[in-house]
Amino acid sequence: MKKMLATSAIALVISSAAADAETLNILVEGGGEMLQKAVAEQFTKEIGIEVQFTVVPYQGVYDKLSAEIASGQSNFDVASIDVVWNAKFAPHLESLDELFTPEFAADFSPALLADAKLDGRYIGVPAWANAEVVLYRKDLFEKADEKAAFKAKYGYELAPPANWQQWRDIAKFFTRDTDGDGKTDFWGTDTIGAYSEEWMAHVLQAGSPGVVLDAENNVIIDNAAHKEALEFYIAPLCQDKSVPENVTEIGWGEAQNLFYQGKTAMMKFWAHAYRMTPADSKVIGKVGVAPMLAGKAGIAGIPGTWYNVIPSTAANKEAAKKFIAYAVKHNAMGIEAPLGLAATNSAYQSYAGKPGYEHFEPLLKTLAAAATRGRPMHEHYQEIVDEAVLPAVQKALSCEDDIGEVLSEAKETIEDILN
Amino acid sequence: MIERKKRDVGGTVINIFALLLVLSYAVPYVYLLMTALKPAADVQQIPPSFFPNRITLENFSTVLATPSLPAAFANSLMVAVLTTVLSLVLAVPAAYVATQYRRSFTTLFLLFALVTRMVPAVSLGVPLFTVLKSLGLLDTTLGLVLAHTSTAVPLALLLMSAFFEGLPKELEEAARMDGCTRFQAFVKIILPVMRSGIAVTALFSFIASWNEFLYALLLTSEKGKTAPIVIAEYNSVYGLAWGPMTAAAVLYSLPVILITLILQKQIIGGLTFGAVKG
Repeated sequence: MKKMLATSAIALVISSAAADAETLNILVEGGGEMLQKAVAEQFTKEIGIEVQFTVVPYQGVYDKLSAEIASGQSNFDVASIDVVWNAKFAPHLESLDELFTPEFAADFSPALLADAKLDGRYIGVPAWANAEVVLYRKDLFEKADEKAAFKAKYGYELAPPANWQQWRDIAKFFTRDTDGDGKTDFWGTDTIGAYSEEWMAHVLQAGSPGVVLDAENNVIIDNAAHKEALEFYIAPLCQDKSVPENVTEIGWGEAQNLFYQGKTAMMKFWAHAYRMTPADSKVIGKVGVAPMLAGKAGIAGIPGTWYNVIPSTAANKEAAKKFIAYAVKHNAMGIEAPLGLAATNSAYQSYAGKPGYEHFEPLLKTLAAAATRGRPMHEHYQEIVDEAVLPAVQKALSCEDDIGEVLSEAKETIEDILN
Repeated sequence: MIERKKRDVGGTVINIFALLLVLSYAVPYVYLLMTALKPAADVQQIPPSFFPNRITLENFSTVLATPSLPAAFANSLMVAVLTTVLSLVLAVPAAYVATQYRRSFTTLFLLFALVTRMVPAVSLGVPLFTVLKSLGLLDTTLGLVLAHTSTAVPLALLLMSAFFEGLPKELEEAARMDGCTRFQAFVKIILPVMRSGIAVTALFSFIASWNEFLYALLLTSEKGKTAPIVIAEYNSVYGLAWGPMTAAAVLYSLPVILITLILQKQIIGGLTFGAVKG
């Protein structure tokens, strides 16, 4: 036993040899590895540089990168980070300006490029991008009697909703008691009360120049567009009764499950969900997809983009840049992964018309929409959301508070955070 | 007779209350188990159901097919065992000396030993990262064992000191009179007497290392990764795979349950150590 322990200890020390210089270490979240694995393998074959992924849980990317940056030494040459961390990490990231030639930049939606640039320099390259689109029950929308009943009631054809009014009408129309017990058991849609991103998309649809903050970091959460969007956001719950009531318990996972269990007719959700309907779901093969809703300013969404960045403490910066450029050039390779996401327009367009990828067109349309833009690029973004934005949305969802007052209170809280 | 009946009723009420208390501790674990046995579509059912509508092992199959999990389980086991052994080797003699050969500085020693537990673990993450990187021990089992030991030793020291406090000094003196050296007295006489205390300390050290997340996250990458990290990866930004996550958690809890059952006698002895001394 003693011998075994001693031998193990020696073996452990020996196995901790220094990293090979020809190995590129990439820090990713689970989904990120899936999306970049194929391109990394091809990169190794063609360029001869090994790629080693370190996969960690979502929050682990932030924690691990923060610790490494704080220590002044990094094990990672590339990190794939969520857009919400761009501002926080920006001062500690390598400039990637040299990669952004006009041709290179032209392959990304403007909103993705805007989020990649901080303090006048590009600090990340979009690796894959997502946005909320509308997923709906194609089978219900195509039923002749439903179509006739809808037209009779609302005076226009039943079709995938394109604007706020249609969304509310269709949600109300499908909300019903299907088993005749006097209780609603099928809803038009859901309202997410555990996150605020969906409301932010409506803020942009309403024509706000920014979400929560403007370009100069002035707090604009109480402007008319924010108010209008919040009124629309709470209406299905507070006025139309077309969503399940327990909204504060509804997050992304719950909304998705309500839809998969066949309890809602539509949901606004991240586009990747289109291909991820479980095989045993009641709605398998019955899902249709449309672009995100349009408001006064047209279609708008909040991009959920992940960026490949190079920590300034990275050891192999040149190899890291090569990989990032290579990953963009072969961006379509990630589409075959279970999440099926990419970042470049050309990658998405290369799958146009392919069965099973019907969500790409609505996704691209949403990402490329003129009113689409990212969340505030501020290092205190998460704090602003946790302490002011989400509480404001949840307060409004109580259906008792005055929207104007709720947003004014949120404004004060945000100003306190910023000052 | 009435008095006896009253006592019986009182006893029954206490027993029912104790049973409810025990069940309330068990509910989260039972819910975890029930979730692990649900089909994917029912896991996040709204409204949630406690019992599965249909029992399936598909989540366990998914977990067992996760390529990184077996290695992560093995790493967790190795780290937890080595951490437990190392912390006992360091803490048991130290606690014995500190309590049995009390000097003015021994109290200070015990107090300062707790320093690493007085600050948030995250604040030690960066220094540990720097030290292990300079030693070339990042992403190794040994590196993580050293990190875990740095927090396990103070706890073990504190627990063992409490156990040694109840030990009569005469025990060592008697052993010395019978011809034992100080070391022999400690190994042959004191340690066997302290078996229960050591078992409790070992169990706490093992569990702390077995479930530790933050240092495992910061100090390992792929080779040294432990199971808590892999289990947390089921919660991705693109969805929470509750079913596989709960199945993995159930499997991960089995060794601890097994060890607790094996050491049950010693643990109960340790927890009641000194409780009946007059």
